[in-house]
Amino acid sequence: MTTSRFDAVVVGTGAGGAPLLSRLAKAGLKVLALEAGPVHPLSEMATDERTQEKLFWKDERLSSGRDPIGFGRNNSGIGVGGSTLHYTAYVPRVQPDDLRLRTEFGVGQDWPLEYADLEPYFEELEHFLGISGPAHYPWGPERRSSYRHAALPLNAAAKAMQRGCEALGIRTSSAPNAALSAPQEQEGFGTRRACTNRGFCQAGCSVSAKASVDVTFLPLAQKFGAEIRPNAFVTRFMLERGRIVGLEYVWNGILERVEMDTLFLCAGAIETPRLLLMQNLANSSGQVGRNFMAHVGTQVWGRFDAETQPFMGIPGGLISEDTHRVDGLVGGYLLQSIGGMPVTYASQYARGTGTWGQKLLEHMKGYMHTAGINILGEGLPYEGNFLELSSERDARGLPKPIIHYSNGENEKKMHTHAEKLMRDIWTAAGAKDLWTFPRAAHTIGTARMGEDPRSSVIDAGGRSFDIENLYICDNSMFPSSLSVNPALTQMALSLRVADQFLEGRN
Amino acid sequence: MEPSEKENLLELLESSRVTPATHKALLERLNAKYPLKFFSETQLETLRAVALRLVPHDPLELDLVGPIDHRLAHGDSKGWRYADLPLEANPYARLLEALPENFLQLEGETQDVLLERLQREQPRAFEDLLAELVEIYYAHPLVQVRIGYYGFADAQGWTL
Repeated sequence: MTTSRFDAVVVGTGAGGAPLLSRLAKAGLKVLALEAGPVHPLSEMATDERTQEKLFWKDERLSSGRDPIGFGRNNSGIGVGGSTLHYTAYVPRVQPDDLRLRTEFGVGQDWPLEYADLEPYFEELEHFLGISGPAHYPWGPERRSSYRHAALPLNAAAKAMQRGCEALGIRTSSAPNAALSAPQEQEGFGTRRACTNRGFCQAGCSVSAKASVDVTFLPLAQKFGAEIRPNAFVTRFMLERGRIVGLEYVWNGILERVEMDTLFLCAGAIETPRLLLMQNLANSSGQVGRNFMAHVGTQVWGRFDAETQPFMGIPGGLISEDTHRVDGLVGGYLLQSIGGMPVTYASQYARGTGTWGQKLLEHMKGYMHTAGINILGEGLPYEGNFLELSSERDARGLPKPIIHYSNGENEKKMHTHAEKLMRDIWTAAGAKDLWTFPRAAHTIGTARMGEDPRSSVIDAGGRSFDIENLYICDNSMFPSSLSVNPALTQMALSLRVADQFLEGRN
Repeated sequence: MEPSEKENLLELLESSRVTPATHKALLERLNAKYPLKFFSETQLETLRAVALRLVPHDPLELDLVGPIDHRLAHGDSKGWRYADLPLEANPYARLLEALPENFLQLEGETQDVLLERLQREQPRAFEDLLAELVEIYYAHPLVQVRIGYYGFADAQGWTL
């Protein structure tokens, strides 16, 4: 075993780990990022869903509760770039009221920071990542800057949603997407190409148009001297006098050790609490693994007379936040048009409707005429939704995580409300043979930040209340799920965690 | 003579409309042979018969069972499992055992009645098997072009 030493080690290279890695490296720190998976070069991104399953975290997780969550393709990435390799790149900003859910509704959680704390980071990210979006975004606080690039073209699903919403008096807008509508120079990477409308964002971008962190923050970090070690699976932390002084990881089958002054744990809302619970670390609050949340992600699909080429174009071209607040619901949801790749579509149809045999084949003959609409809605924390360690061990001998998840009343009401609305929109747009796929999206909230060490794991700067040189920065830190996709907020938090850490150091 | 469906597909795959990475993936799938290592002979026969009813296909053209055998022989997971399904090397064993010994000799419609019952009695294992067969089937480029899909030929991108 060899031991090396760094100022900071970052575990995980996704939306939580990569931005802060670049900040620390730029500030001159000697930093190492450990990534459980391999490098996925752009040239090896095939337009083939089965091949691209290499982007998904496949170690087995156990799904329990009344509404067990599917992992893998749905929500968990592996490899240099983490889940940003397969994210849809849908990047609306959070609205300020979502950060004060408890104040507004008496349930859920308030965040220990405000919109104004995040706003400068949103502005920085929208420029740095090269977000394409509308000239005027109709929802949320007035923007101080416009999107760097013009909105991406609308595909058939987006145009259908536009028609349906217009008929019902619902406002829509081109969605902000972290994919380039024009080429962009990217520091540390080179020229990123404009989106070619492949539509395979969820299976990995092969043209560098999508702002996954492997073509943005990670090359920037490397330019400033950060070292990124792929295929390095962290198994254990070493502690001395209440501080983390090192960790062990398996690298190409060999156990290695690294020592550090500060550890940034950015392994995602499943692997982060799993690693901590294996040694019961940073858990004086008892909240590690608790408050597991997922977004309400109901989809409605329909068949149109004209061909829709559902695989084509940025999948989430259109957005509406008119349902950001709905009478009778805690929080709200956004509406999004969605494209579909054939294997995912067929698999969801089979799972969602239980259809098989000739009926299934008949349905799939209409694949090229399908289009979907989707929501992304607030999922609340509940006592019964949490992650714990199972007695079952994986191939490494580590305990598998078991995730308990059941929808509460609010999630059920939101699903019902949204399903009716989406069916109305699709009917108004001319869709037939509608079918609904109830779904939960993202993994959120298992090491939440807060002001009170008795009820939260980390403070607003991402620092553990228990271990002074441990920081957590991934979707586990979210106190509430928010009614927007988490990546943009996550990257903003990552930059903020780094800036606050560096300020405290000086 | 008209070129066959497969010849047309091969011509497309060899063209500049398909990236090298996509070409490699689809050609491998088109020519894949899966040496069977995992299932017993009885399990294989039953599984093949079940696959024919769940996702009707020509078994001489497409092997839907081989990739499942291959996956299980390598101990690969899809990333999660329903916690109420036991940890088993073969997650489909109980499903297949629930079918009568003479399943293979029954008429298709009678088999369907038994499969519908199986779907009610073991809904989660049935759903997993169905989804796996469906994913293997619709990932096959010949099946894809038959439903009008050509999204893999995207090397030059698409104009909306």
